[in-house]
Amino acid sequence: MSIIYVLIPLSVILMVFAIGFFFWAVKNDQFDDLDSPALDVLDDDEPASKTDEETPDRS
Amino acid sequence: MSTAAAAARAASPDACWHCGEPIPPGVDLHAEVQGEDRPMCCHGCQTVAQLIDRAGLDRYYDFRDALPERPEREPVGAETFLAWDRDAVYDHHAMRDCNGHYQLPLVLENVHCAACAWLIRRFVGSLPGVIDLQVDIADGRAQLLLDKDRTPLSEVAGRLASLGYRPHLDSPDASLDRDREQRREMLKALVVAGLGMMQVMSYALAGYIGAFQDIDPTSERFFQLISMVVAVPVALYSGRIFYRAAWRTLASGRMGMDVPVALAMLLALGSSIVITWLDAGETYFDSVVMFIFFLLLGRYAVLVARQKAGRLHSALARALPTQVRRLTPDGAELVSLVELASGDRVQITSGETVAADGRVLRGEAQVDEALLSGESIPRRRVPGDTVLAGSLVRDGQIEITVEQLGQGTALAGIVRLLDQARQFRPRLAQLADRIAGAFVAFVLTAAAISAIAWTFVDPAHALPVALAVLVVSCPCALALGTPVALASATRGMARLGVLIHRPDALEALPKISHLVFDKTGTLTRSDPELVETRLEAGLDADQARRLAGRLERVSRHPLASAFAPFDDGAPVEQAQAVASQGVQGRIDGVEYRLGRPAFVGEALEARPVEPGPGQWLALADGQQLLAWFRVELRLRDGAEDLIEQLHRDGKTLVLASGDRAANVQALAERLGIEHWHAEQSPADKLALVRSLQAEGHRVAMIGDGINDAPVLAGADVSMALAEGADIARTQADLVITGQGLQRLAAALALAPKVRRIIAENLAWALLYNLTALPFAAFGLIPPWAAAIGMSASSLLVVLNARRLGRS
Repeated sequence: MSIIYVLIPLSVILMVFAIGFFFWAVKNDQFDDLDSPALDVLDDDEPASKTDEETPDRS
Repeated sequence: MSTAAAAARAASPDACWHCGEPIPPGVDLHAEVQGEDRPMCCHGCQTVAQLIDRAGLDRYYDFRDALPERPEREPVGAETFLAWDRDAVYDHHAMRDCNGHYQLPLVLENVHCAACAWLIRRFVGSLPGVIDLQVDIADGRAQLLLDKDRTPLSEVAGRLASLGYRPHLDSPDASLDRDREQRREMLKALVVAGLGMMQVMSYALAGYIGAFQDIDPTSERFFQLISMVVAVPVALYSGRIFYRAAWRTLASGRMGMDVPVALAMLLALGSSIVITWLDAGETYFDSVVMFIFFLLLGRYAVLVARQKAGRLHSALARALPTQVRRLTPDGAELVSLVELASGDRVQITSGETVAADGRVLRGEAQVDEALLSGESIPRRRVPGDTVLAGSLVRDGQIEITVEQLGQGTALAGIVRLLDQARQFRPRLAQLADRIAGAFVAFVLTAAAISAIAWTFVDPAHALPVALAVLVVSCPCALALGTPVALASATRGMARLGVLIHRPDALEALPKISHLVFDKTGTLTRSDPELVETRLEAGLDADQARRLAGRLERVSRHPLASAFAPFDDGAPVEQAQAVASQGVQGRIDGVEYRLGRPAFVGEALEARPVEPGPGQWLALADGQQLLAWFRVELRLRDGAEDLIEQLHRDGKTLVLASGDRAANVQALAERLGIEHWHAEQSPADKLALVRSLQAEGHRVAMIGDGINDAPVLAGADVSMALAEGADIARTQADLVITGQGLQRLAAALALAPKVRRIIAENLAWALLYNLTALPFAAFGLIPPWAAAIGMSASSLLVVLNARRLGRS
């Protein structure tokens, strides 16, 4: 049973890391738009790339 | 594909594929989308649909779950925004980052669903200079990160406008940042509480199981200590929202629902620390953290719903033009508003909006100040007169000296007043707050009495009972019931194409007994249509209409729009519009005139006589009269159905119009409206509404928003029909977007449901609080169960209200 004296504090430390990571994500705008990124995966085309100079006018 | 997309798609086959509006009779426009020929209701929709399809972004039509507004008739391109490329705009509106890119906030019109954001990101984001573009669909704002050397801002703006999402410059807005900060703080608190709750609950569970399995005292003590180590920081961090709110209400001498909440948390936390310190029995760490988590869950849902619904777009930015023509000794130059200074000379021509308050120096024009005064008839302005920012110049050209700018203008003052008016909380929510205040005092007394009573019966139970009473009877659900329902309904209405400026109106809507309608622009369309062509000599009907279409191209008079569909784009020489008379021009060497009979008659020997009743325009060349055109305002789509629906519901309908008696009577008879009043000025209409109210009736006014501003303000509920840029200018409680009246009918049908949900919420919250209280007082509910019960009741209220958001 004495293993819990190691594992439980370890889990608390892990939780602190998880919270830290979450705060970092919030700070970096990861939670500001939860609606539109869901549509990106439905798109088969290449994502709009900053490197290609072509206009979206394909015709 | 998805059901949402299918639902958003217009149900009937004769609806416009792009905007879902019914296609007016006689319009035969198509666009190829996804390889199929789709019907379109207007050139604006056709242009946008073709643009989307050609860019390969036609999947927008699968993704969207809300219909867009009809785009403006005349396509807006980069040239409208040329002044935005000036350095002053970047200096004033943008922030420069370390890579030399500019970060700009933009306010976009008509952004409704995630598909809009997708479309914008794909279509505009592919421009080489656009480094990043984030669209916030909740409030229609976009954050643009731009490399202006590769793509100028005007091109980005033109591209947004061509899709129907017209952009407006926005100064960095403090309230917006505050909103986001608030949302982030709440989210962080919520997640910390959630993680903490899982940990503490697992320790508590270990303790409970251990109680049956002879846990050794060292382990038990360890679980208690580790619970404290986790719970105390979590409760202090996540719960601080409640402590702060409670402190603020107490400091201002009031009772709020946060007071018992905060008290229960701190009491449970403090006593648990003491108990752990003394090693003297049961602790409540798990209950405290769980309570905080569930409360935050409810609060977060409300915060998001409210922020989504209640965003007031920067009305000031939208009412003013994107660029102005400043006159300098070297000639005219296009500059942006931020460059304008007091004392500058500015030229404004027909169809443009005045950018600043000023005095007319030269020229004269008819100026429409409907936005400011509600006066729909344009006034003549001559040198020496003042003109106000936000008013529209019709027929003429003026030069003004700028006197007041930006926040100093009369318009800014009006916007400030409106903002203040909107700060008021809904009446029912205020009532609920007052009830909650009284209820809190009652709860605190009840908790104290139960605690004292229990110290005599069984002192060990005094604390848990007091905690349970405090927690179980928290009147959160009571206070949440109304605002969350109104917020949800606002979102539901927005999906129907009805924007709500004053959520209170939703609650008042079902009680309305009288509806007063304006005629022109409300029951009828505001743009006239060509209904009859009579030929006099030499031409066939098609030729005559095409000639008229070409000639009217130069005119900005409303009547000219009736001929726009027939314009084939062929050149007209020396085309000229003569204010309120007509147009003239030379086509293929022949001089033509089109307009009022008197104007056309000047070129002929005799003034031609109209062939019948109605409004007729004559077309003539130098020698003879060629044709007559009759133009008429047509009924809006859905007008008949709406009137029928209202009659069925037992409402009294009144038609009040500034038009002549014969026209008003004809329309009233046609629609079966029993009461009508003709030749009404805005003041007369207001008096009419007031007299109905004096008789004890609840009156709703339905107008076209701008001309009827004072009447709209006087009615119990005001509704306005508006399109495009007018949406932002309208001050009605409810704004119905689009061309048809079907959306108004849908809004009227939804309103009773809102009322019912509010009543359900309040009834449920009261019932729950009153029944749970005695059980808690008699010690039948442990603190952890009280926390779950209280949170569940709040969540139930939120979920019930959410039904209104779906439509």
